[in-house]
Amino acid sequence: MSQSLRPYLTAVRHSLQAALNLSNFSSQVVERHNRPEVEVPNASAELLLQPMHISRNEHEQVLIEPSVNSVRVSIKVKQADEIEQILVHKFTRFLEQRAESFYVLRRVAIPGFSISFLITNMHTETMNTEKLVDFIIEFMEEVDKEISEMKLFLNARARFVAEAYLGEFVY
Amino acid sequence: MLYLQPQNLLVQKTLTEALEANARGTPLILDRIISDFDYTTLHISNSPEEKALLWISIKTKAWLSISKCGPDLVGYLNTKYDDLAGVSTCQPEGGYDYTLQVDLKALQNDAVVQLSLLKVMTMSYPFQLAFNEFASLAQLPEGSNTTETVHKIEYRDDENVFIKPSNDRITVIFETFFQDETDKVFGKVFLQEFVDSRKRNRAIQSAPQVLFSHEPPLEISKLVSSRVSEKSRRFITFVLFPRHFQTPELQFSSICHLALFRNYFHYHIKCSKAYMHSRMRYRVDTFIKVLNRAKLDENEDGSEETTRRTVTGRKMVY
Repeated sequence: MSQSLRPYLTAVRHSLQAALNLSNFSSQVVERHNRPEVEVPNASAELLLQPMHISRNEHEQVLIEPSVNSVRVSIKVKQADEIEQILVHKFTRFLEQRAESFYVLRRVAIPGFSISFLITNMHTETMNTEKLVDFIIEFMEEVDKEISEMKLFLNARARFVAEAYLGEFVY
Repeated sequence: MLYLQPQNLLVQKTLTEALEANARGTPLILDRIISDFDYTTLHISNSPEEKALLWISIKTKAWLSISKCGPDLVGYLNTKYDDLAGVSTCQPEGGYDYTLQVDLKALQNDAVVQLSLLKVMTMSYPFQLAFNEFASLAQLPEGSNTTETVHKIEYRDDENVFIKPSNDRITVIFETFFQDETDKVFGKVFLQEFVDSRKRNRAIQSAPQVLFSHEPPLEISKLVSSRVSEKSRRFITFVLFPRHFQTPELQFSSICHLALFRNYFHYHIKCSKAYMHSRMRYRVDTFIKVLNRAKLDENEDGSEETTRRTVTGRKMVY
Protein backbone atom coordinates (compact mmCIF):
# COMPACT_ATOMS: atom_id res chain seq x y z
CA MET A 1 0.00 0.00 0.00
CA SER A 2 1.44 3.33 -0.97
CA GLN A 3 2.35 5.96 1.57
CA SER A 4 -0.52 8.31 0.91
CA LEU A 5 -3.18 5.65 0.49
CA ARG A 6 -3.06 4.47 4.10
CA PRO A 7 -3.88 7.80 5.76
CA TYR A 8 -6.58 8.36 3.15
CA LEU A 9 -8.25 5.05 3.93
CA THR A 10 -7.82 5.61 7.66
CA ALA A 11 -9.53 8.97 7.36
CA VAL A 12 -12.40 7.38 5.44
CA ARG A 13 -12.68 4.59 7.99
CA HIS A 14 -12.89 6.92 10.96
CA SER A 15 -15.31 9.26 9.25
CA LEU A 16 -17.54 6.33 8.33
CA GLN A 17 -17.45 4.96 11.83
CA ALA A 18 -18.51 8.36 13.12
CA ALA A 19 -21.22 8.73 10.48
CA LEU A 20 -22.73 5.27 10.87
CA ASN A 21 -24.54 6.16 14.05
CA LEU A 22 -28.06 5.76 12.77
CA SER A 23 -31.38 5.42 14.43
CA ASN A 24 -34.83 4.63 13.21
CA PHE A 25 -36.59 7.81 12.30
CA SER A 26 -40.03 8.14 10.80
CA SER A 27 -40.79 10.90 8.39
CA GLN A 28 -41.80 14.18 9.94
CA VAL A 29 -43.86 15.13 6.92
CA VAL A 30 -45.80 12.07 5.85
CA GLU A 31 -47.43 9.70 8.27
CA ARG A 32 -46.32 6.04 8.17
CA HIS A 33 -43.41 6.94 5.94
CA ASN A 34 -39.89 6.05 6.82
CA ARG A 35 -37.41 7.18 4.29
CA PRO A 36 -33.69 7.84 4.15
CA GLU A 37 -33.58 11.50 5.01
CA VAL A 38 -30.42 12.12 3.03
CA GLU A 39 -32.27 11.21 -0.16
CA VAL A 40 -35.34 13.31 0.45
CA PRO A 41 -35.37 16.80 -1.02
CA ASN A 42 -36.14 19.73 1.29
CA ALA A 43 -35.46 17.72 4.38
CA SER A 44 -35.42 19.74 7.52
CA ALA A 45 -32.00 20.97 8.53
CA GLU A 46 -32.08 19.24 11.89
CA LEU A 47 -32.08 15.82 10.21
CA LEU A 48 -29.08 16.40 7.96
CA LEU A 49 -25.60 16.49 9.37
CA GLN A 50 -22.54 18.18 7.99
CA PRO A 51 -21.23 16.32 4.89
CA MET A 52 -17.63 15.17 5.07
CA HIS A 53 -15.41 15.47 2.04
CA ILE A 54 -12.18 13.51 2.13
CA SER A 55 -9.92 13.84 -0.84
CA ARG A 56 -6.56 12.25 -1.53
CA ASN A 57 -6.11 14.28 -4.71
CA GLU A 58 -8.41 15.72 -7.33
CA HIS A 59 -9.06 12.27 -8.85
CA GLU A 60 -9.70 10.32 -5.67
CA GLN A 61 -12.30 11.63 -3.31
CA VAL A 62 -14.93 10.39 -0.91
CA LEU A 63 -18.03 12.30 0.07
CA ILE A 64 -19.89 11.13 3.18
CA GLU A 65 -23.31 12.70 3.69
CA PRO A 66 -24.77 11.64 7.03
CA SER A 67 -28.29 12.15 8.21
CA VAL A 68 -30.31 10.93 11.15
CA ASN A 69 -31.27 7.58 9.63
CA SER A 70 -29.05 7.15 6.57
CA VAL A 71 -25.59 7.81 5.23
CA ARG A 72 -24.70 8.31 1.60
CA VAL A 73 -21.11 7.47 0.68
CA SER A 74 -19.90 8.49 -2.75
CA ILE A 75 -16.55 7.41 -4.09
CA LYS A 76 -14.63 8.89 -6.97
CA VAL A 77 -12.30 6.28 -8.41
CA LYS A 78 -9.00 7.32 -9.95
CA GLN A 79 -9.26 7.81 -13.71
CA ALA A 80 -5.92 8.82 -15.11
CA ASP A 81 -6.60 8.41 -18.83
CA GLU A 82 -9.42 7.52 -21.18
CA ILE A 83 -8.83 3.77 -20.87
CA GLU A 84 -9.26 3.96 -17.11
CA GLN A 85 -12.30 6.17 -17.59
CA ILE A 86 -13.94 3.53 -19.75
CA LEU A 87 -12.93 0.72 -17.42
CA VAL A 88 -14.26 2.53 -14.35
CA HIS A 89 -17.46 3.35 -16.17
CA LYS A 90 -17.96 -0.25 -17.27
CA PHE A 91 -17.11 -1.63 -13.87
CA THR A 92 -19.34 0.67 -11.86
CA ARG A 93 -22.21 0.15 -14.28
CA PHE A 94 -21.72 -3.57 -13.94
CA LEU A 95 -21.96 -3.27 -10.16
CA GLU A 96 -24.95 -0.94 -10.25
CA GLN A 97 -26.86 -3.39 -12.40
CA ARG A 98 -26.42 -5.91 -9.62
CA ALA A 99 -27.33 -3.44 -6.87
CA GLU A 100 -30.03 -5.64 -5.34
CA SER A 101 -27.47 -8.24 -4.28
CA PHE A 102 -25.31 -5.52 -2.76
CA TYR A 103 -28.04 -4.12 -0.43
CA VAL A 104 -26.12 -0.93 0.28
CA LEU A 105 -25.28 0.05 -3.29
CA ARG A 106 -27.10 2.99 -4.81
CA ARG A 107 -28.22 2.36 -8.37
CA VAL A 108 -27.11 5.74 -9.62
CA ALA A 109 -24.00 7.54 -8.52
CA ILE A 110 -24.09 11.13 -7.30
CA PRO A 111 -22.99 13.48 -10.12
CA GLY A 112 -19.25 13.91 -10.06
CA PHE A 113 -18.61 10.54 -8.42
CA SER A 114 -18.08 7.05 -9.80
CA ILE A 115 -20.19 5.05 -7.39
CA SER A 116 -22.42 5.70 -4.39
CA PHE A 117 -23.60 3.67 -1.43
CA LEU A 118 -26.66 4.35 0.65
CA ILE A 119 -26.59 2.87 4.13
CA THR A 120 -29.79 3.16 6.14
CA ASN A 121 -30.61 2.26 9.71
CA MET A 122 -32.12 -1.00 8.40
CA HIS A 123 -28.69 -2.00 7.16
CA THR A 124 -26.91 -1.12 10.37
CA GLU A 125 -29.52 -3.08 12.32
CA THR A 126 -29.13 -6.25 10.25
CA MET A 127 -25.42 -5.97 9.65
CA ASN A 128 -22.35 -5.52 11.70
CA THR A 129 -21.43 -1.85 11.31
CA GLU A 130 -17.72 -2.52 11.73
CA LYS A 131 -17.80 -5.12 8.95
CA LEU A 132 -19.80 -2.77 6.75
CA VAL A 133 -17.04 -0.19 7.10
CA ASP A 134 -14.53 -2.93 6.30
CA PHE A 135 -16.46 -3.69 3.14
CA ILE A 136 -16.35 -0.10 1.93
CA ILE A 137 -12.65 0.21 2.66
CA GLU A 138 -11.90 -3.09 0.94
CA PHE A 139 -14.03 -2.03 -1.98
CA MET A 140 -11.99 1.13 -2.39
CA GLU A 141 -8.73 -0.78 -2.32
CA GLU A 142 -9.90 -3.50 -4.68
CA VAL A 143 -11.44 -1.20 -7.26
CA ASP A 144 -8.17 0.62 -7.81
CA LYS A 145 -6.32 -2.66 -8.03
CA GLU A 146 -8.87 -4.15 -10.41
CA ILE A 147 -8.86 -1.17 -12.74
CA SER A 148 -5.10 -1.07 -13.04
CA GLU A 149 -4.94 -4.83 -13.55
CA MET A 150 -7.52 -4.66 -16.31
CA LYS A 151 -5.59 -1.89 -17.96
CA LEU A 152 -2.37 -3.85 -17.77
CA PHE A 153 -4.13 -6.87 -19.18
CA LEU A 154 -5.48 -4.86 -22.09
CA ASN A 155 -2.04 -3.56 -22.95
CA ALA A 156 -0.46 -6.97 -22.59
CA ARG A 157 -3.08 -8.55 -24.80
CA ALA A 158 -2.77 -5.84 -27.42
CA ARG A 159 0.97 -6.30 -27.52
CA PHE A 160 0.73 -10.04 -27.76
CA VAL A 161 -1.88 -9.89 -30.49
CA ALA A 162 0.07 -7.36 -32.52
CA GLU A 163 3.28 -9.32 -32.24
CA ALA A 164 1.55 -12.54 -33.18
CA TYR A 165 -0.03 -10.94 -36.22
CA LEU A 166 3.15 -9.30 -37.43
CA GLY A 167 5.10 -12.45 -36.64
CA GLU A 168 3.15 -14.16 -39.40
CA PHE A 169 4.85 -11.87 -41.90
CA VAL A 170 8.35 -12.89 -40.90
CA TYR A 171 9.66 -15.28 -43.49
CA MET B 1 -7.71 -19.58 -30.97
CA LEU B 2 -5.28 -16.82 -31.74
CA TYR B 3 -5.51 -16.72 -35.50
CA LEU B 4 -8.56 -16.63 -37.67
CA GLN B 5 -8.28 -19.04 -40.53
CA PRO B 6 -8.58 -17.68 -44.04
CA GLN B 7 -10.82 -20.46 -45.27
CA ASN B 8 -14.48 -20.65 -44.40
CA LEU B 9 -14.85 -23.60 -42.06
CA LEU B 10 -18.54 -24.08 -42.79
CA VAL B 11 -17.93 -24.33 -46.51
CA GLN B 12 -15.12 -26.73 -45.87
CA LYS B 13 -17.26 -28.88 -43.61
CA THR B 14 -20.23 -28.86 -45.96
CA LEU B 15 -18.12 -29.88 -48.90
CA THR B 16 -16.35 -32.61 -46.99
CA GLU B 17 -19.71 -34.00 -45.89
CA ALA B 18 -21.02 -33.84 -49.41
CA LEU B 19 -17.94 -35.56 -50.71
CA GLU B 20 -18.19 -38.38 -48.17
CA ALA B 21 -21.90 -38.84 -48.75
CA ASN B 22 -21.31 -39.01 -52.47
CA ALA B 23 -18.60 -41.60 -52.02
CA ARG B 24 -21.10 -43.75 -50.08
CA GLY B 25 -23.51 -43.43 -52.97
CA THR B 26 -26.07 -41.28 -51.17
CA PRO B 27 -25.49 -37.73 -52.36
CA LEU B 28 -26.68 -35.04 -49.96
CA ILE B 29 -29.43 -32.69 -50.92
CA LEU B 30 -27.98 -29.33 -50.11
CA ASP B 31 -29.27 -25.79 -50.09
CA ARG B 32 -27.16 -23.87 -47.64
CA ILE B 33 -26.57 -20.19 -47.29
CA ILE B 34 -23.39 -19.48 -45.40
CA SER B 35 -22.31 -16.06 -44.20
CA ASP B 36 -18.75 -14.94 -44.02
CA PHE B 37 -17.14 -11.74 -42.73
CA ASP B 38 -17.74 -8.41 -44.43
CA TYR B 39 -21.21 -8.91 -45.89
CA THR B 40 -20.23 -11.98 -47.83
CA THR B 41 -22.73 -14.73 -48.49
CA LEU B 42 -22.00 -18.11 -49.95
CA HIS B 43 -24.64 -20.40 -51.32
CA ILE B 44 -24.09 -24.12 -51.77
CA SER B 45 -26.83 -26.01 -53.58
CA ASN B 46 -27.37 -29.00 -55.81
CA SER B 47 -27.62 -28.42 -59.49
CA PRO B 48 -31.25 -28.92 -60.56
CA GLU B 49 -30.43 -31.80 -62.93
CA GLU B 50 -27.84 -33.84 -61.14
CA LYS B 51 -27.35 -34.45 -57.42
CA ALA B 52 -23.63 -35.02 -57.69
CA LEU B 53 -23.14 -31.54 -59.09
CA LEU B 54 -22.89 -28.72 -56.58
CA TRP B 55 -23.05 -25.03 -57.19
CA ILE B 56 -21.02 -22.75 -54.98
CA SER B 57 -21.97 -19.12 -55.38
CA ILE B 58 -20.51 -16.10 -53.69
CA LYS B 59 -21.99 -12.69 -53.18
CA THR B 60 -19.84 -10.06 -51.55
CA LYS B 61 -20.09 -6.36 -50.98
CA ALA B 62 -16.58 -5.87 -52.29
CA TRP B 63 -17.33 -7.45 -55.69
CA LEU B 64 -18.25 -4.25 -57.49
CA SER B 65 -15.19 -2.34 -56.37
CA ILE B 66 -12.86 -5.28 -56.94
CA SER B 67 -14.08 -5.81 -60.49
CA LYS B 68 -13.39 -2.14 -61.16
CA CYS B 69 -9.76 -2.57 -60.10
CA GLY B 70 -8.72 -4.59 -63.10
CA PRO B 71 -9.89 -5.81 -66.47
CA ASP B 72 -10.94 -9.36 -65.75
CA LEU B 73 -11.83 -10.47 -62.24
CA VAL B 74 -13.90 -13.42 -63.44
CA GLY B 75 -11.05 -14.55 -65.67
CA TYR B 76 -8.66 -14.34 -62.72
CA LEU B 77 -10.90 -16.51 -60.56
CA ASN B 78 -11.40 -18.92 -63.45
CA THR B 79 -7.66 -19.46 -63.77
CA LYS B 80 -7.45 -20.10 -60.03
CA TYR B 81 -10.15 -22.75 -60.06
CA ASP B 82 -10.13 -24.25 -63.55
CA ASP B 83 -7.18 -26.54 -63.02
CA LEU B 84 -8.70 -28.17 -59.92
CA ALA B 85 -10.15 -31.55 -60.84
CA GLY B 86 -13.93 -31.56 -60.90
CA VAL B 87 -14.33 -27.79 -60.63
CA SER B 88 -15.64 -25.85 -63.56
CA THR B 89 -17.00 -22.38 -63.93
CA CYS B 90 -20.51 -21.59 -64.97
CA GLN B 91 -22.95 -18.72 -65.37
CA PRO B 92 -23.44 -16.85 -62.07
CA GLU B 93 -26.53 -17.90 -60.19
CA GLY B 94 -29.22 -15.23 -59.88
CA GLY B 95 -28.47 -12.79 -57.06
CA TYR B 96 -24.87 -13.94 -56.73
CA ASP B 97 -21.68 -12.59 -58.20
CA TYR B 98 -19.77 -15.71 -59.13
CA THR B 99 -20.60 -19.37 -59.30
CA LEU B 100 -18.48 -22.51 -59.46
CA GLN B 101 -19.81 -25.89 -60.45
CA VAL B 102 -18.31 -28.78 -58.54
CA ASP B 103 -18.52 -32.34 -59.69
CA LEU B 104 -18.38 -34.44 -56.54
CA LYS B 105 -17.37 -37.54 -58.50
CA ALA B 106 -14.12 -35.96 -59.59
CA LEU B 107 -13.42 -33.64 -56.64
CA GLN B 108 -10.24 -34.25 -54.68
CA ASN B 109 -9.97 -33.69 -50.94
CA ASP B 110 -7.36 -30.97 -51.20
CA ALA B 111 -9.52 -28.97 -53.59
CA VAL B 112 -12.06 -28.53 -50.78
CA VAL B 113 -9.74 -26.11 -49.00
CA GLN B 114 -9.23 -24.14 -52.18
CA LEU B 115 -12.99 -23.89 -52.63
CA SER B 116 -13.50 -22.68 -49.08
CA LEU B 117 -11.00 -19.91 -49.79
CA LEU B 118 -13.32 -18.41 -52.38
CA LYS B 119 -13.77 -15.15 -50.51
CA VAL B 120 -10.05 -14.63 -49.95
CA MET B 121 -9.43 -15.47 -53.61
CA THR B 122 -11.83 -12.74 -54.64
CA MET B 123 -10.15 -10.29 -52.29
CA SER B 124 -6.73 -11.28 -53.62
CA TYR B 125 -7.37 -9.97 -57.13
CA PRO B 126 -6.38 -6.31 -56.49
CA PHE B 127 -3.40 -7.51 -54.47
CA GLN B 128 -2.33 -9.66 -57.39
CA LEU B 129 -2.68 -6.71 -59.73
CA ALA B 130 -0.54 -4.65 -57.38
CA PHE B 131 2.14 -7.35 -57.30
CA ASN B 132 2.20 -7.41 -61.10
CA GLU B 133 2.40 -3.65 -61.32
CA PHE B 134 5.20 -3.65 -58.80
CA ALA B 135 7.11 -6.14 -60.97
CA SER B 136 6.71 -4.03 -64.08
CA LEU B 137 7.52 -0.77 -62.28
CA ALA B 138 10.67 -2.22 -60.81
CA GLN B 139 11.91 -2.97 -64.35
CA LEU B 140 11.44 0.59 -65.56
CA PRO B 141 14.33 3.07 -65.33
CA GLU B 142 14.55 5.58 -62.51
CA GLY B 143 12.35 8.64 -62.98
CA SER B 144 9.58 7.04 -64.97
CA ASN B 145 8.78 4.30 -62.49
CA THR B 146 5.95 5.83 -60.53
CA THR B 147 2.27 5.26 -60.91
CA GLU B 148 -0.88 6.94 -59.76
CA THR B 149 -2.79 3.68 -59.56
CA VAL B 150 -4.54 2.99 -56.28
CA HIS B 151 -6.81 -0.01 -55.99
CA LYS B 152 -9.76 0.49 -53.72
CA ILE B 153 -11.74 -2.31 -52.14
CA GLU B 154 -15.01 -1.17 -50.62
CA TYR B 155 -15.59 -4.15 -48.42
CA ARG B 156 -17.86 -2.65 -45.81
CA ASP B 157 -20.27 0.25 -45.59
CA ASP B 158 -17.79 2.99 -44.85
CA GLU B 159 -14.59 1.04 -44.60
CA ASN B 160 -12.21 0.60 -47.49
CA VAL B 161 -8.86 -0.90 -48.30
CA PHE B 162 -6.49 0.99 -50.55
CA ILE B 163 -3.60 -0.75 -52.28
CA LYS B 164 -0.94 1.37 -53.88
CA PRO B 165 1.91 -0.26 -55.78
CA SER B 166 5.16 1.60 -56.32
CA ASN B 167 8.59 0.64 -57.57
CA ASP B 168 10.05 -0.52 -54.29
CA ARG B 169 7.08 -1.32 -52.07
CA ILE B 170 3.36 -1.85 -51.90
CA THR B 171 1.33 0.23 -49.49
CA VAL B 172 -1.87 -1.22 -48.09
CA ILE B 173 -4.05 1.24 -46.22
CA PHE B 174 -7.08 0.26 -44.18
CA GLU B 175 -9.69 2.84 -43.44
CA THR B 176 -11.72 1.87 -40.43
CA PHE B 177 -14.42 3.23 -38.16
CA PHE B 178 -15.25 2.55 -34.58
CA GLN B 179 -18.90 2.72 -33.82
CA ASP B 180 -18.67 2.12 -30.13
CA GLU B 181 -16.92 4.49 -27.76
CA THR B 182 -15.28 1.60 -25.91
CA ASP B 183 -14.12 0.02 -29.15
CA LYS B 184 -12.55 3.30 -30.09
CA VAL B 185 -10.44 3.43 -26.95
CA PHE B 186 -9.57 -0.26 -27.03
CA GLY B 187 -8.81 0.04 -30.74
CA LYS B 188 -6.41 2.84 -30.03
CA VAL B 189 -4.51 0.69 -27.55
CA PHE B 190 -4.36 -2.20 -29.99
CA LEU B 191 -3.34 -0.10 -32.98
CA GLN B 192 -0.64 1.62 -30.99
CA GLU B 193 0.78 -1.78 -30.16
CA PHE B 194 0.74 -2.74 -33.83
CA VAL B 195 2.83 0.33 -34.54
CA ASP B 196 5.20 -0.15 -31.61
CA SER B 197 5.68 -3.89 -31.46
CA ARG B 198 7.86 -3.97 -34.56
CA LYS B 199 10.23 -1.46 -33.03
CA ARG B 200 10.30 -3.21 -29.70
CA ASN B 201 10.67 -6.82 -30.70
CA ARG B 202 13.76 -7.66 -32.71
CA ALA B 203 12.34 -10.97 -33.85
CA ILE B 204 9.69 -9.30 -35.96
CA GLN B 205 11.81 -6.53 -37.41
CA SER B 206 11.29 -7.88 -40.90
CA ALA B 207 7.49 -7.63 -40.64
CA PRO B 208 5.81 -4.88 -42.65
CA GLN B 209 5.99 -1.44 -41.18
CA VAL B 210 2.70 -0.34 -39.64
CA LEU B 211 1.61 3.28 -39.40
CA PHE B 212 -1.51 4.63 -37.81
CA SER B 213 -3.12 8.04 -38.28
CA HIS B 214 -6.36 9.95 -37.96
CA GLU B 215 -5.79 11.84 -41.21
CA PRO B 216 -5.80 10.11 -44.58
CA PRO B 217 -2.23 9.36 -45.68
CA LEU B 218 -0.98 11.43 -48.63
CA GLU B 219 -1.13 8.47 -51.04
CA ILE B 220 -4.88 8.33 -50.85
CA SER B 221 -5.86 11.81 -49.70
CA LYS B 222 -7.50 12.49 -53.07
CA LEU B 223 -9.53 9.31 -53.00
CA VAL B 224 -10.96 9.57 -49.54
CA SER B 225 -14.28 11.28 -49.59
CA SER B 226 -14.21 14.44 -47.53
CA ARG B 227 -17.83 14.07 -46.48
CA VAL B 228 -16.85 11.88 -43.56
CA SER B 229 -14.46 13.91 -41.49
CA GLU B 230 -15.54 12.07 -38.41
CA LYS B 231 -13.37 11.71 -35.40
CA SER B 232 -13.81 7.99 -35.24
CA ARG B 233 -12.09 7.39 -38.57
CA ARG B 234 -8.67 5.74 -38.45
CA PHE B 235 -6.13 4.84 -41.10
CA ILE B 236 -3.80 1.92 -40.71
CA THR B 237 -1.00 1.62 -43.23
CA PHE B 238 0.99 -1.53 -43.93
CA VAL B 239 4.12 -1.09 -46.00
CA LEU B 240 4.96 -4.34 -47.78
CA PHE B 241 8.51 -4.71 -49.00
CA PRO B 242 9.56 -7.06 -51.78
CA ARG B 243 10.54 -9.72 -49.25
CA HIS B 244 6.88 -10.07 -48.31
CA PHE B 245 5.79 -11.05 -51.81
CA GLN B 246 8.77 -12.69 -53.43
CA THR B 247 7.18 -16.02 -54.22
CA PRO B 248 3.56 -16.92 -54.99
CA GLU B 249 3.31 -18.72 -51.62
CA LEU B 250 4.49 -15.64 -49.74
CA GLN B 251 2.13 -13.50 -51.77
CA PHE B 252 -0.77 -15.71 -50.89
CA SER B 253 0.00 -15.85 -47.20
CA SER B 254 0.45 -12.07 -47.08
CA ILE B 255 -2.89 -11.60 -48.81
CA CYS B 256 -4.62 -14.00 -46.41
CA HIS B 257 -3.33 -12.11 -43.40
CA LEU B 258 -4.09 -8.69 -44.78
CA ALA B 259 -7.55 -9.67 -45.94
CA LEU B 260 -8.30 -10.80 -42.41
CA PHE B 261 -6.65 -7.87 -40.64
CA ARG B 262 -9.84 -6.07 -39.73
CA ASN B 263 -11.53 -9.24 -38.56
CA TYR B 264 -8.53 -10.28 -36.51
CA PHE B 265 -8.24 -6.90 -34.90
CA HIS B 266 -11.91 -6.51 -34.05
CA TYR B 267 -12.12 -10.12 -32.91
CA HIS B 268 -9.44 -9.49 -30.32
CA ILE B 269 -11.13 -6.31 -29.14
CA LYS B 270 -14.29 -8.32 -28.54
CA CYS B 271 -12.30 -11.04 -26.82
CA SER B 272 -10.74 -8.63 -24.36
CA LYS B 273 -14.15 -7.17 -23.61
CA ALA B 274 -15.48 -10.65 -22.95
CA TYR B 275 -12.57 -11.42 -20.66
CA MET B 276 -13.14 -8.23 -18.72
CA HIS B 277 -16.77 -9.11 -18.36
CA SER B 278 -16.01 -12.48 -16.82
CA ARG B 279 -13.43 -10.85 -14.62
CA MET B 280 -15.94 -8.31 -13.34
CA ARG B 281 -18.38 -11.11 -12.66
CA TYR B 282 -15.79 -12.81 -10.49
CA ARG B 283 -15.00 -9.55 -8.72
CA VAL B 284 -18.67 -8.90 -7.96
CA ASP B 285 -18.88 -12.33 -6.35
CA THR B 286 -15.96 -11.59 -4.06
CA PHE B 287 -17.46 -8.24 -3.09
CA ILE B 288 -20.76 -9.91 -2.25
CA LYS B 289 -18.89 -12.41 -0.08
CA VAL B 290 -17.24 -9.59 1.86
CA LEU B 291 -20.58 -7.87 2.30
CA ASN B 292 -22.27 -11.05 3.48
CA ARG B 293 -19.67 -11.35 6.21
CA ALA B 294 -21.15 -8.18 7.65
CA LYS B 295 -24.60 -9.74 8.04
CA LEU B 296 -25.58 -10.59 11.58
CA ASP B 297 -26.42 -14.17 12.39
CA GLU B 298 -30.15 -14.39 12.93
CA ASN B 299 -29.92 -16.85 15.81
CA GLU B 300 -27.52 -14.68 17.71
CA ASP B 301 -29.76 -11.73 18.40
CA GLY B 302 -32.96 -13.77 18.43
CA SER B 303 -34.79 -11.23 16.30
CA GLU B 304 -37.01 -14.04 15.03
CA GLU B 305 -39.21 -14.03 18.14
CA THR B 306 -39.45 -10.31 18.53
CA THR B 307 -41.21 -9.71 15.21
CA ARG B 308 -44.21 -7.77 16.36
CA ARG B 309 -47.58 -8.45 14.81
CA THR B 310 -50.88 -6.63 14.93
CA VAL B 311 -54.06 -8.29 16.16
CA THR B 312 -55.03 -9.28 12.62
CA GLY B 313 -51.68 -10.98 12.16
CA ARG B 314 -50.00 -8.36 10.00
CA LYS B 315 -46.37 -7.56 10.59
CA MET B 316 -45.67 -4.34 12.38
CA VAL B 317 -43.75 -1.95 10.21
CA TYR B 318 -42.37 1.18 11.70
